[in-house]
Amino acid sequence: MTELALQHYLAVGAIMFGIGLIGFMTRRNLIIIFLCTELMFQGVGINLIAFGRYWGNFAGQAFVIFVLVIAAAEASLALGLVVLLFRQKSTLDADVWRELKG
Amino acid sequence: MHGLFSSALGAAATAPASAPALAGQMGQSAELIPPALLFVLCVAAAVAMMIVLPGRGREKSIRIIGGVGMLAVLIVLGAVLGKLAAGVGVFFWIFAFIALGGAVRVITHTKPVYSALYFVLTVMATAGLFVLMWAEFMAAALILIYGGAILVTYVFVIMLAAEAGGTTAAVQADDEHTGLEHDRISREPILASAVGFALVGILLFVIFDRAPGEARRQTALAARMPTPAPIVELPGATQQLGAYLFDKQLVNLELAGLILTVAMVGAILIARRRVWRADDVGALAGGETIVAPATPIDDNPHSIPVDGTHNPRQKAYPET
Repeated sequence: MTELALQHYLAVGAIMFGIGLIGFMTRRNLIIIFLCTELMFQGVGINLIAFGRYWGNFAGQAFVIFVLVIAAAEASLALGLVVLLFRQKSTLDADVWRELKG
Repeated sequence: MHGLFSSALGAAATAPASAPALAGQMGQSAELIPPALLFVLCVAAAVAMMIVLPGRGREKSIRIIGGVGMLAVLIVLGAVLGKLAAGVGVFFWIFAFIALGGAVRVITHTKPVYSALYFVLTVMATAGLFVLMWAEFMAAALILIYGGAILVTYVFVIMLAAEAGGTTAAVQADDEHTGLEHDRISREPILASAVGFALVGILLFVIFDRAPGEARRQTALAARMPTPAPIVELPGATQQLGAYLFDKQLVNLELAGLILTVAMVGAILIARRRVWRADDVGALAGGETIVAPATPIDDNPHSIPVDGTHNPRQKAYPET
């Protein structure tokens, strides 16, 4: 804790994750829902890098690189799916797909 | 590994006897955030969040009050945290406030494009936090990948959808307010705020409860002192990260590349899929929608099907 106030960074990461979670639950626009998952990724990334810095190794940064890779893959696939869904119903409203609840 | 953390190791080496004293000091400073204060802050933040979220019956002035409440909670939390600040400078507070404020705007703005732009702001501030933690390469990668690639894709899709969605008269009339109906009215704001800030409260409580690992970390860092000298002395943190990645994480790195390739192929396959909507095709009855597989049409690259165009060279799908 001398070099790095770990808890402060963890707090920022936790709050950002919470904000992303709330957005994920409340927003109804498909694109914004996926944007909120990216917010949650950011919070986790802050946590990982703070832990890596705290313990003095590169595992945290390597983790964040893989998180970025997964986020990029997820974003490309998700946006492809969003475009496909949009072309069927001409709206980005997630409630339109309520029928998927069965 | 040597160069980057030499100062941390030096601090541990020069004052090894102060580690227990430091741990004791940490135990004292952990009392600075009592759980009751955290509880009150989280309840206040949840109430402010459910006011600031867009919804039916919440006009702009009321939502501004919620935003001010949100800001006040952040400032109070920052002031409480500032008392036990050890080693964070003024830049931490600037970047943290920009990041969190931008994040709140991302989920509360009623126009998707502005949400995406506020997300860019959050990404920039997060990159600043990464730089403060000496992760320069990750900061650059974050801006390049998030602020560049992913956000451009998001904005592109948002504008594509907005252009097509704005053509119908009903949407146009709705658009004159502050956005589309599904952007203006959020789903379950009360429940979501309660759940979200309950989670945040528990996380903050655990984070600030106590720091049992500090003494352990000091001994671990001190024990790492007689590490064998690396074969090649690398000057910067980025070079060390690269050496670490290709030395210790080689298989994972290759797997990451494979995942990216698979995702790219999958995204192209999904996006090229053709969709016939029921009102486009008279032959389809009962409002059903056909999604055709993205089979190659012929060998000519000019015959890739593009929506809204008619290509005379294009052969029919086998399914139709």
